[in-house]
Amino acid sequence: MHNVRKLILVLVCLIPVLCFSQEKIEREKRVDEKAVPKAAIEWLYDAFEEIKKPKWYQEFFESGYSFEAKFFKDGRYFSVEFDSLGIIQDVEIEIPFDEIQPEVQKNLTAYWEETYTDFKLIKIQRQYSGEPDDLEDFFDENEVENILEQYEIEYIGKEKDGDEQIWEATFDAQGKFISKRVVIVRIMDNLIF
Amino acid sequence: MEGKRIKVINQIFPFGLISNKTSRLQFLEGKISRGQLNLNSVLKKYILVSFLFFSFLGKLFAQEQVFFFGFFPEAAVTKSLSNGKKINFKVENQETFFRNTAREGEKWDVRHYRTDFMGFYSWQASPVINLAIGAFHRIQDGANANRIIQQMAFLQRLRSLRIAHRIRTDQTATRGESLEWRLRYRVALDIPLDGKTLDPGENYLVLSNEPIFSLQDGEFELENRLVFTLGKLINEEQKLEYSIDYRTDGFFQEGFRTRLWAKIGYFYNF
Repeated sequence: MHNVRKLILVLVCLIPVLCFSQEKIEREKRVDEKAVPKAAIEWLYDAFEEIKKPKWYQEFFESGYSFEAKFFKDGRYFSVEFDSLGIIQDVEIEIPFDEIQPEVQKNLTAYWEETYTDFKLIKIQRQYSGEPDDLEDFFDENEVENILEQYEIEYIGKEKDGDEQIWEATFDAQGKFISKRVVIVRIMDNLIF
Repeated sequence: MEGKRIKVINQIFPFGLISNKTSRLQFLEGKISRGQLNLNSVLKKYILVSFLFFSFLGKLFAQEQVFFFGFFPEAAVTKSLSNGKKINFKVENQETFFRNTAREGEKWDVRHYRTDFMGFYSWQASPVINLAIGAFHRIQDGANANRIIQQMAFLQRLRSLRIAHRIRTDQTATRGESLEWRLRYRVALDIPLDGKTLDPGENYLVLSNEPIFSLQDGEFELENRLVFTLGKLINEEQKLEYSIDYRTDGFFQEGFRTRLWAKIGYFYNF
């Protein structure tokens, strides 16, 4: 009887080994700088000269993939996105709410108060996009020409006739709402029960 | 600022959005951003802790204190209902391989220790706060028990890991014994091992610790559970976890006891 039990235990132990060897389907992964297109690396170090060792990620989506560099500079978190060829798409910088101009703050707050019964801010990113040369000039020479500025803001909000959700919304430079989506928090059944 | 209702929740995003950053926080931010909390350093720490942990196992086997070692499979099914409500059913089985209190020649033997069945009903108080109530039945030789459970869990979402807190109270009725009241607090670090978020097919690490305070017959007791887990998110519905679960109890009353479990957990949600 004991031998049968031991055999069952061994078999149970083996099942997970088989599962762990299954094929991996990736959506986002950390990559070495060597795997990043040269154009992206050159743009990054031209625009931000003093940064040390950014972390690189490759993100996969239905129509292809992109690269993202993340780093910390001058007390701020930066996130720089490139397309699959290494062409700069946008730069996002995390900022505190009180760094936003008062009129823009007013517009943002008006939107939240109008749309939600209650809301709490989680993360604010100021997003800059434009042509690679214009963006580079913006970051190393402060030239604002042809730069599109937007805000990407993550917050918890309870819609008047809905549940409380985590939202990621885009606002224009004046704080006018453009679009939003719900952020899904992965089920944490293993951490709750 | 107009925002008397603009509250930054530090539990979710503790690095200060609106408030001024202190140098300590900046230091932490820098540490994380410069990759010192990356996969390599996490793994190195994990290996070091594991080494220290296993290096004193030999002592445990030899010492006179009560020591169990065994196998602990668990499986859980979670059904999501509407509005963030969930029903969970879980089975845990504990089989001991080694007991130092057994007679000479019988110390290494496979024996049933416990089988626990539990069910929970849970709902979201917010996207990151989960409340649950549960019932539990234990099958154990001479000590079958029933328990009711109340708990709150909340999640902090940081840049490259999640911290899950769980506060649980439970009341256990065992035949022939007085009601046991317990208060438990578990903190778990959930760290993706491939990139900054966990995607299907990727592995993760969970490090958790849970002190359990209990009161029975006016006597206070403490148990601690330290768990190292290597998991895999097989797909959106399934997770598989290998764990080492190290439990110590009997700190205040006689009989300091350690129990070491090799766990395999399967989690299915739909």
